Amino acid sequence: MTTDRRPTTDPAPEAWRARARRAMCWATAVGGALTLAAAAVAWSWLDELPDPVASHWSGGGAPDGFSAPGSLVLVFAALGLGLIAVFVVIGSVAGTAASTRRLAAAGSVWSGGFVAGMLLTTLAPQRGLADASQAALPGWAFAVVLVAPLVPAAIVALLVPADPPLPAAGPVADDAPRTPLRAGERAVWLRRATGGPGLAVGMVAILVTAVLAVALETWAMLVLPVLLAGLFAAMFAFTVRVDDSGLTVRSVLGWPGTHVPADEVLGASVVQARPFAEFGGWGWRIGRGGRVGVVLRAGEALLVERTGGRSLVVTVDDAATAAALLHTVADRSRAGADD
Amino acid sequence: MLWRIDPGADEPLYAQLVGQVRLAVARGELAAGERLPAARELAASLDLNAHTVLKAYQALRDDGLIELRRGRGAVVTAAGEDLSLVERALADLVAAARRAGLSAETTTTLVKEAMHR
Repeated sequence: MTTDRRPTTDPAPEAWRARARRAMCWATAVGGALTLAAAAVAWSWLDELPDPVASHWSGGGAPDGFSAPGSLVLVFAALGLGLIAVFVVIGSVAGTAASTRRLAAAGSVWSGGFVAGMLLTTLAPQRGLADASQAALPGWAFAVVLVAPLVPAAIVALLVPADPPLPAAGPVADDAPRTPLRAGERAVWLRRATGGPGLAVGMVAILVTAVLAVALETWAMLVLPVLLAGLFAAMFAFTVRVDDSGLTVRSVLGWPGTHVPADEVLGASVVQARPFAEFGGWGWRIGRGGRVGVVLRAGEALLVERTGGRSLVVTVDDAATAAALLHTVADRSRAGADD
Repeated sequence: MLWRIDPGADEPLYAQLVGQVRLAVARGELAAGERLPAARELAASLDLNAHTVLKAYQALRDDGLIELRRGRGAVVTAAGEDLSLVERALADLVAAARRAGLSAETTTTLVKEAMHR
């Protein structure tokens, strides 16, 4: 899938970079603070910890991995900062859309909190112990460490500002296909985007994690299949709508979703999407150049080029009809703006 | 599928929707088992009253084209047929009507009359 010519009516193709830089600064600060604060607290415990400390537990509850406490703190701090860096790079390089900046910011904060939680729940029960082999890890710790950082992550994601309106600076290309509509006639194109291996992969992942949690009798681990069920339920089907307001893609669950206003549409076309090669997987995805993909299967897809250097791909049948109507409503939004 | 509404046309709004579903089923664009959009969603997108859409869905149900199920919405029941012969003949008819200078209304009346014979 290639975009041979980028429409030239984009008034601010680079404006997102400053917004991405700002959002990623905040995300780094919050995520980094969580990890570094936990490392500082753990460092202050060094005198009270056994040497070596338990660093890994087997399914049965007895520790089966040990390391020097000082190096464990450093390894965790490095892991946290490394994960944050990965998300910050994604947000800085590909954060053309606000949704991507939100995901990247939430990812850095969650990583920082997750690593901080792992470090503290690993070391806290070992304070005052003479022998680390006695160390017990509370069963609920894993669930809390996994879920709790979602709260600051969600808050930071909500604080990342939405994209401001950015109407296109010129008309849609003359040779783009249109849906002929009479004056006053209204039209809507509705279609469901489904298919692909998402449902099967989700079922297997949920089943395996649930069976594992039950088999190991680590009930707190049941939080994993629950989180996965929520994730796959939100990702397995989307409704796609083109009407006077523009393009709306929304999970049948109601979230996540996105809207491309008609006056921000530069052009739409039918493309062949390859989810794995272009987006590294299925579902709501970030592709090269910050292209947002709602890719549930390989094959026919609607590509929408949007102002602000943004673009969106949705795998949906009958994409040509959607593209033509989108051009028509984009024309109408331009005509309305001239009045 | 593409839904369109022309408030300026003589045909009632609900009848315009009925005609489009009928055509889409006949052409095979809507297959049996496929679900029509929720009345509220379709109404909002086309700036219609939800009752207008419901009236159209009820008319389609009475025709046996769709089934209305509580909780599942409107589901297409009828299967499409091959219309290629009719469409080819239609193209000839339209060309002939244009040559004769007939309006769309007159042509439609002629077709209706012929079918009632």
